[in-house]
Amino acid sequence: MAVALALLGVALQTTLFVRFRPFDASPALALLVVLALSRHLGRMESLLVGFGTGLLLDLLSETALGLWALVATAVAFTTVRLRHRFEDDVTLLVPGVFLISFAALALYGLLGTIFGEQTLADAQVVRKMLLPAVYNTVLAVLVLPAVTKLVGERVRSPGGWGES
Amino acid sequence: MWRRTGLDRSNILFVALVVVSLVLMTMDLRASGEGLAGTLRDGTQSVFTPVQKAVSFVTRPVVGFFEGMSDLVGLRGENQALRLQVAQLEQELARTESLQRQVEELEAILAIEPPEEYDTVVARVLATGVSDFDALRLIDKGRRHGITVDMPVIDEGGLVGRVVAVGETWARIRLITDRSMRVAVRVDRTGETGVLIGRGGGLLALEMLNTETALVEGDLLVTADGRFPAGIPVARVAEAAEAEVGFSLRTTATPVAELTRVDYVKVLVFTSDEVGSADPEEEGLPTGTGTTISP
Repeated sequence: MAVALALLGVALQTTLFVRFRPFDASPALALLVVLALSRHLGRMESLLVGFGTGLLLDLLSETALGLWALVATAVAFTTVRLRHRFEDDVTLLVPGVFLISFAALALYGLLGTIFGEQTLADAQVVRKMLLPAVYNTVLAVLVLPAVTKLVGERVRSPGGWGES
Repeated sequence: MWRRTGLDRSNILFVALVVVSLVLMTMDLRASGEGLAGTLRDGTQSVFTPVQKAVSFVTRPVVGFFEGMSDLVGLRGENQALRLQVAQLEQELARTESLQRQVEELEAILAIEPPEEYDTVVARVLATGVSDFDALRLIDKGRRHGITVDMPVIDEGGLVGRVVAVGETWARIRLITDRSMRVAVRVDRTGETGVLIGRGGGLLALEMLNTETALVEGDLLVTADGRFPAGIPVARVAEAAEAEVGFSLRTTATPVAELTRVDYVKVLVFTSDEVGSADPEEEGLPTGTGTTISP
């Protein structure tokens, strides 16, 4: 189910926003799905799903292979580390989604520049990090409950959440 | 904020995945996107294209609804402006038809061959790049329909981009706004040439060397690049500019193609061999697939 959702996230990310692009920007939906899945999957599973989703993004783009893989893995890792906080205080979830999305895109920009993609030389670099993060925050209202319903809440075990 | 977990297996896996990612990036960079990575990319895109087609088919009505809602506000004003424009165009068309007849008569008298018409392949845009940083579009026509790498892509406005990768039933287009794109252009009004440079989106940068003529806002820039047929509209000057010391001129230009909402495009069946090559694009693009063009 998690893999199917990740694939759907990538498919929607690439097809849904061909013509409907408010302010010429689109959400980072695949990263949002990785974040949503990482709230429920085991730590190892979360990292692998993040890496796999990122690798698929790399293979569907012209960027250096491994760039999105690293970014999506970092999103999964951060979410796994912070999910207890999100669970304890649900109000942290909204700023959490925004900050993780923004930080992920900033990491992409930084790594892309280091690996010769000239990403930070983009004339709209801040907008391209900010708007997808805002859209992710808005879409989180739909995506997070949907993923929770489909993947199911994991029972908090003594050693941590849903550790497999 | 961070929960203490010690050096558990997930930490080790995270470090391992980061290392794998960095190794992949380094190897891909060294191979310039060719070899195994290129083959993997082409294979993945071929497998994923049917999924994208299916999702696009299902979501298109929903997207159309939201798009319609957002367009509704400006529709009335646009309708009035279009009616006015149609009336003006009808007048111009009558004059153009008369001129066309004169040109054909003169061509016949002088035995001049008319300009070559290029075959086109109409394609629908299936998907965008995986993020806003990718100025890429995926179309639903490919090698099977006669499309090859490097072919120019246009819409009703002008140049959209060029094909950078192609599979049996899909092709990937790099838009002219991409940071790695360079297009040699000619100012339609003055005949002087310059280079348009993609900035990642929005306006393009225009650089002209050895020029003394000023540019005015709205000046049309057309292709003067060996890779594209000459004379395709590319952009209009956004800010008037004059040559600085050293006769160089820098300004910005707005693409004439509807790049933010491109839905259907035409691929011109044209290769640069037909007119000789003059490629202003920078050497050594950072990445690409096995079939990505190398300038």
